[in-house]
Amino acid sequence: MSFVAIDGASFAYQGGGDVVDRVDWTIGEGEFHCLVGRSGCGKTTLLKIAAGLLPPTQGSVHIQGLEVRAPKSQIGFVFQTPTLLDWLTVMDNVLLPVSLKRAVRPGDRDKMSELLSLMGLDGLTARHPFELSGGQQSRVAIARALITEPLVLLMDEPFAALDAITREELQDDLLHLCDMRKTTVLFVTHDIAEAIYLGDRVAVMEQGRIRHDQIVDLARPRDHDVRFSAAFNAQCLEVRKAMNNPVTEKSTP
Amino acid sequence: MNIRIYSWGLLVVLIGGWEAFTRLSGLSSLVIPTPSAVVEVLWGGLTIGYLWPHIWITTIEMLLGLSLGCGIGFLCGVLLEENGFLRRLLWPYIIASQVVPKLALGPLFIVWFGFGMTSTVVITALICFFPLLENTLTGLHHIDPQKRELFRMLGATRLQALLRLKIPSGLPVIMAGVRVAVVLALVGAVVGEFIGGRSGLGASIIAAQGMMDSSLMFALFIIITLLGMIFYQATIVLERWLLSNHLKGSDP
Repeated sequence: MSFVAIDGASFAYQGGGDVVDRVDWTIGEGEFHCLVGRSGCGKTTLLKIAAGLLPPTQGSVHIQGLEVRAPKSQIGFVFQTPTLLDWLTVMDNVLLPVSLKRAVRPGDRDKMSELLSLMGLDGLTARHPFELSGGQQSRVAIARALITEPLVLLMDEPFAALDAITREELQDDLLHLCDMRKTTVLFVTHDIAEAIYLGDRVAVMEQGRIRHDQIVDLARPRDHDVRFSAAFNAQCLEVRKAMNNPVTEKSTP
Repeated sequence: MNIRIYSWGLLVVLIGGWEAFTRLSGLSSLVIPTPSAVVEVLWGGLTIGYLWPHIWITTIEMLLGLSLGCGIGFLCGVLLEENGFLRRLLWPYIIASQVVPKLALGPLFIVWFGFGMTSTVVITALICFFPLLENTLTGLHHIDPQKRELFRMLGATRLQALLRLKIPSGLPVIMAGVRVAVVLALVGAVVGEFIGGRSGLGASIIAAQGMMDSSLMFALFIIITLLGMIFYQATIVLERWLLSNHLKGSDP
């Protein structure tokens, strides 16, 4: 049985056409899937449907066989910007999901310290977001999403604003963390190389539909050398060609 | 800082120029008193003590009016932001009441509350109400949509979102409203006393006018200015303290 199942999900804003158009997609437990597409192709909307933030106008999303109708604590979401609360310390930001539910226990603090050291943020717990670099802020945002140990992690271009080197470091740390915890991930990006590097499977989305579905059979764990291998480039090229869909070129003005 | 010294120097030059002008021009001291005469009246008033009760009353009126106006303005702002129906229903009335010059209502308040402190406090509160209402609405409204979604994603209740996201995020804008309100509160208290006060600094100005005592009027201006500056500085200290976490790491 699939872990995450999106069945015929559609979404339309009132009075507009379908932003997401009858998408079917399944993710197996512990798999890392990437969703690639141009801006405005509906990938963020699909992610929000999967998160329960937007109700699909048609179709449904199931996680472990249960329908998602509203945000749940077993789903973690990482936004395009770190969305840290400026007036809280790193520690309080990471513990926010817990403190909104109940009083913070010593066990939560231990878990937070462990997560922060895994993310390479030792010694920064008392800092405020202002005092962190962009990469560090993204790391805090990921730690915050993982503190409740979600089964599924949904990520919406979390590294888009970072420089290339920082992005590569974060990609490696993210892969490591998700591999350790067997977290199931749906990762939205517009960066083809990022999608291939991270994903077990890559979907190309266009005009609200999945146009292309590609299994990335590169060995894991992946390291920097993979990025320069012929197999990697071949995978990227395949996605790139799928994005050159003549249907869109005709319809874009 | 060097510029501080120049600032004080400018003050000395201005006062010296004023003194020289009044002495040399031969204008009546009823029109413009010399600074030395003003200082003499001011010093006398403070040491003999007849100015203190007036300072005290104006301060109390200002504090009461400020806290009532700010408190109610903030609560109404929160209520209107949380309840869209109420906001749309009441918005035209709020605009209309904001345009009404509040001081023009002074005579009516005297009819309702009588001469004295109550009418002045009500006028002051009314003047302070709007900046807080407006800034609270603005501050709570302009929240990063992704942060709203984050709180939805985390299953936060409306109250949690209000207390832990909206109010802390909007605090800088709300505090800017408080700063405006502090300045307006002094105007409200003094002018309120012009209209219906028996005592206080504003009422004293009217009394000094009746006696054509321009030295006393200038002395009272100085006290009002100092009072305003003390309140303003206190607000800035309060703001720094409340926003210390917002500002950490950035140059305030």
